[in-house]
Amino acid sequence: MSKSLATHMSPASNSHAAMAPVMEVRGLSVVVNTAAGERNILTDIDLTVAPRSVLGIIGESGSGKTVLSRAMVNWLKPPLAITKGSVRYDGRDLLTLPAATMAGLRGREIAYIGANPTSALDPTVPVGHQILEKLRAVAPELTPQAARQRVIDTLDAVRIPSPKQRFDEYPFQFSGGMMQRAMIVDALVSNPKLLIADNITQPLDVTVAAQILRLLRDLQKDFDTSIVFVSSSLGIVSEIADDMIVLDRGHIVERQSVRGLLATPEHAYTKELIAKVPMIWASAETPPVPSSGDIVLDVRDVGKTYRVRDRKAIFAERQVRAVRGVSFTVRRGENFGIIGESGCGKSTLSRLLSCLEQPDAGQIQFEGRDIATLKGRDLLGLRRRFQLLLQDPYNAIAAHASIGRTIAEPLLIHGLGSRREIEHKVKDVMAEVGLAPALYNQLPIGLSAGQRQRVNIARALVLEPELLILDETLSSLDQVEQAKLLDLFETLQVKRGITYVYISHDLAMVRRVCARIAVMYLGRIVELADNDTMYWRSAHPYTRALLSAVPTVEAKPYRTATYLLEGEPPDPIDIPPGCSFRTRCPFAFDRCATDDPSQTIYADGNASACHLPLNSLPAPELAH
Amino acid sequence: MTSSTATAAGTTAAPKTKYRGVTARILRRAWGQTEMKVAASIFLALTLLTLFGPYIIDASATKMSVANKFLPPIFMEGGKLPHFLGTDQLGRDLLLRSLIGLRNAFAIGVVSVVGMFILGCAIGIYSGYRGGLTDVILMRLTDVQMSIPVVILAITVLGMSRPSPLTIIAVLILASWPVYARVARGVTLAERQKEYVRAAKILGASDLRIMVRHIAPSILPPIAFVAVLDVARMMIFEAIFGFIGIGIQPPTPTFGTIIASGTQYLLNAWWITIVPGVLLALALGSLNLMGGVLERARNHILQGGE
Amino acid sequence: MAFAIEFFLRRISQGVVIVILVAFVIFTLLRIVPGDPIRIILGPMASAAALEEKATELGLRDPIYVQFGRFMGQVTTGDFGRSFIRGAQGGSAGGSQDAAGYNPESRASVSGLIANALPYSLQLAALGIAFAFLVAIPIGLGAGLRAGKWPDRLGLYVSSLFVSLPNIWVGVVLIFLLSAKTGWLPAIGYQGFAYTIIPAMVLAIELSPVMIRAISVSVAANLGEVYFDVGLVRGLSRRTMVAKHVLRNAAVPLLNLFGAQMIGMLLGGLFVVEYIFSYPGIGMLTINAVFQRDFPIIQAVAILASAALVAINMLVDFASTTIDRRLKF
Repeated sequence: MSKSLATHMSPASNSHAAMAPVMEVRGLSVVVNTAAGERNILTDIDLTVAPRSVLGIIGESGSGKTVLSRAMVNWLKPPLAITKGSVRYDGRDLLTLPAATMAGLRGREIAYIGANPTSALDPTVPVGHQILEKLRAVAPELTPQAARQRVIDTLDAVRIPSPKQRFDEYPFQFSGGMMQRAMIVDALVSNPKLLIADNITQPLDVTVAAQILRLLRDLQKDFDTSIVFVSSSLGIVSEIADDMIVLDRGHIVERQSVRGLLATPEHAYTKELIAKVPMIWASAETPPVPSSGDIVLDVRDVGKTYRVRDRKAIFAERQVRAVRGVSFTVRRGENFGIIGESGCGKSTLSRLLSCLEQPDAGQIQFEGRDIATLKGRDLLGLRRRFQLLLQDPYNAIAAHASIGRTIAEPLLIHGLGSRREIEHKVKDVMAEVGLAPALYNQLPIGLSAGQRQRVNIARALVLEPELLILDETLSSLDQVEQAKLLDLFETLQVKRGITYVYISHDLAMVRRVCARIAVMYLGRIVELADNDTMYWRSAHPYTRALLSAVPTVEAKPYRTATYLLEGEPPDPIDIPPGCSFRTRCPFAFDRCATDDPSQTIYADGNASACHLPLNSLPAPELAH
Repeated sequence: MTSSTATAAGTTAAPKTKYRGVTARILRRAWGQTEMKVAASIFLALTLLTLFGPYIIDASATKMSVANKFLPPIFMEGGKLPHFLGTDQLGRDLLLRSLIGLRNAFAIGVVSVVGMFILGCAIGIYSGYRGGLTDVILMRLTDVQMSIPVVILAITVLGMSRPSPLTIIAVLILASWPVYARVARGVTLAERQKEYVRAAKILGASDLRIMVRHIAPSILPPIAFVAVLDVARMMIFEAIFGFIGIGIQPPTPTFGTIIASGTQYLLNAWWITIVPGVLLALALGSLNLMGGVLERARNHILQGGE
Repeated sequence: MAFAIEFFLRRISQGVVIVILVAFVIFTLLRIVPGDPIRIILGPMASAAALEEKATELGLRDPIYVQFGRFMGQVTTGDFGRSFIRGAQGGSAGGSQDAAGYNPESRASVSGLIANALPYSLQLAALGIAFAFLVAIPIGLGAGLRAGKWPDRLGLYVSSLFVSLPNIWVGVVLIFLLSAKTGWLPAIGYQGFAYTIIPAMVLAIELSPVMIRAISVSVAANLGEVYFDVGLVRGLSRRTMVAKHVLRNAAVPLLNLFGAQMIGMLLGGLFVVEYIFSYPGIGMLTINAVFQRDFPIIQAVAILASAALVAINMLVDFASTTIDRRLKF
């Protein structure tokens, strides 16, 4: 297939050559049986997993990578079927083993971790007990006490804080990252020879994913396990893998060492994949500049607290402080970005901004009027000029109404125009966002995510809003579709002078479109700066940690090792005194534990909330 | 499946396949099952018999005839035409009495289920959508209602007033609406979290509009499928009321009174009780089987099946 | 622990409110339906003047809320009043004999009547539930574990068949087949444990289809959960997953079913079955009371039935939140 493939496969250049491979897949083909007949999912897959190595498999959604990783544990269910090939492990072909023998290998010698940690365990049994149950099943020779100790030790080894207490907690009490660590414990507790990790960082935030990657790398050495690491993110696979396989629509198109693949990709598809990884710093595009228009949206010291019942005390409530004193302004014609990881309060903020909930403290002013005081007709008037686009293109549109009717709904609500005028307007806006007129009378079932999001956009645009809040609007779309819609937004901005607020966790996207950016952590804005300052000379350690953890394939100004965060964000119920970021901050010092830093506003209008002087953070390792 | 070359369907092409709504898919799936076809055929046959039987069979359901009393069904020795299923202690034709009973029971079943469906779902959607104190009060109200057993309520109300089809329907609705309210509320709670509701709010839709135009159309059809089962349940209640003597009053025949009157003659003329019951069970069986298949088809489709 | 205390404090207080509301509804209902209680007590022969005098003396002319308050006051001491009709020595007083010298003491106390009837009903209910379990658990589990296969069909057929058999008819048919025709089992009245068997079978036929459906649906749904599939890849056997996890998770919706639906159905079923079989339980007592307009018995039974339902629901919810900690309370 390629030169590097030949060299990789030849014994002379392979340091692991002396030892037999852990797993060898030969000529594996998988089909899916549908009503329309068989369709190929995997075709003639050959791969070898060397001992003590990490084999990365990269492929986009639909490339067959999950099917491949499941086939490697002989765990495919109808309508999927293996048509030919072998999966050799320890001198045996797993595909021809009796079901009972195969079941004996799964979870013992070959472990598998999937992409969905939060639903991977029985929700009604404590996590530790379930891991113990598995360990007792695979290692019945251990005494109950020894097994329990081993589980707790392994929980400790993956840096789950207070493992003894965590042992008795339930899956829903674990965050996604913690749960994924627990699943790693579950996989490694039986000392498997091979671990198949299928897209395990996919649901996690970048800083947590970075921790998991480092953890897996360390554990692989300690436990002497080979890992097959499957992912759709080139940036992530390249952080951990030794060798890499590129999967394109069921075919292996290239295999190389990571370094080789990134430096000299050979197959056209690989090159395309690499080109698609968004560039944050190496991009040639100049980021948008702040606008000097009038202030459209003025958010002043807004706060929101929810109450939850406390199970540990009688008639007690606990306060979840979701948003704490957030302030920013957005000027007309500007693109403003709000970024942060899960639980940072950005979705609460979005609900407050869209007037679905009222803030407990502070004010949100739209064109000088406090939106909390608006009622009835005034509120309806506000809704016309101030729209919000939601994240999920599937649930945002009702399944039972035609597309034309869905887009017409806001006009009907606001009583704008006769039946004919409305139809006319709807068709105009459909053309504007790129929806075929033929869709007017169709139900949305069967539309792609991108098309659905266009319906969504059309529905908001038909009211001719002045301000559009985009709450993770593009995050479920692939890169190509995302780029198309960003272009559409830009065109609309030029044509109609719309102001956008992007709420997102996608740092590359925000880098491309936003002029000014706010970074949120635990319900608070920790840094607010213009685009270039934010990405090149950030003043807050959290911003730098976020940027250092972004999986990219370019050189970064912030080195991952310098800014790697410990642990997870604290529970918004128990916000630590002092600086709320100090529990994870690599630069925290004694003052941080007592004083809560207020926002310091610098000469250039940017601001950050950190006790460290502006230039006391390590100098960026890459100059602009 | 997205891949590098196949980008989203493009901006001009309409989807190729014809997609159906959830309701259509459930019905199609259900109709594909043999049980559904069998049950529907039985139901259709009984409907036709009920509609046209009284005109074809040359006998009377109410006129007494001493000469013809205790006639067994025609498949037994001594049976004679036109009394296919024999006669009762007063010589009335059992088939005709059963058919009229069936018609009345079915009418009461359908009307009361429609009534409890509308009342229950309206309250359920309102309660689930409003949440908060409204929800607590309305749900406690369903608790109150549900904690009075149907039969106690019915015998108290019907036993002490004059039972008529309307009061029977009223009692059935009153006793069973909380079940629908509970179900509709549960689905609404989940539905309210969905983004389309939030989207409608942001667009400025009023709460009433969201409940009526957005939530109701998406949650009601699946609940309605299960309501078929309740028609059968209500028909059983109608029979029980008749049996206890608090149902539709004689001389109008109902299953309850037919069965009750036959119990005295069980040893000599068992068919008076047993045979009409078979007819009723057949009718209920076809309804329940259809309901069961629809329920399973619904679960299958809602869980992502085709 | 704190959770349990708060849970019960909340639910008991809510439950008391519900039971009082039910009591008020029934109490009012019984006083607005046609039929003057005093006429029932004294019988058709009493003169109008005597009626009024006695009614005022017994407080029957007070406003409903005053009567209700007085009644609830008695209830808190366990006294549900006295029957209008039944004599203290058993048997019906008929209501006509002592028009002039009616003395409440001569009538049976409602709590006593209920205490006598209750054990019979409990015995019937317990046996009925046991029969229903015997049928529903194997069929329901089979249908849930083998969705789409023959046990699943069997579950559908059995539940569709049973749910289509009206209990009044099944009762008569079973009397005919098992008692009248063959003489295997006794059927009418009560003179020993054997008299409970046929009524319990009728109850079981009524209860089991709901159980079969619920068991098969919740077991099948749990087999479709991610955790089940993952458990098998994690190295646990299918048997372990079913026994330790699927059944545990499936129990939550089942418990709710038992609270919300089953107990109501059971109560309703008891009434009808006892009536068919002249079985001397609460149902028989109540139906006779309705026909005789013996209001104190009706309201006492309704209040106790709703209290029982509320209490069972509370226990069921507590069990559910203990199994699944995610549930709110």
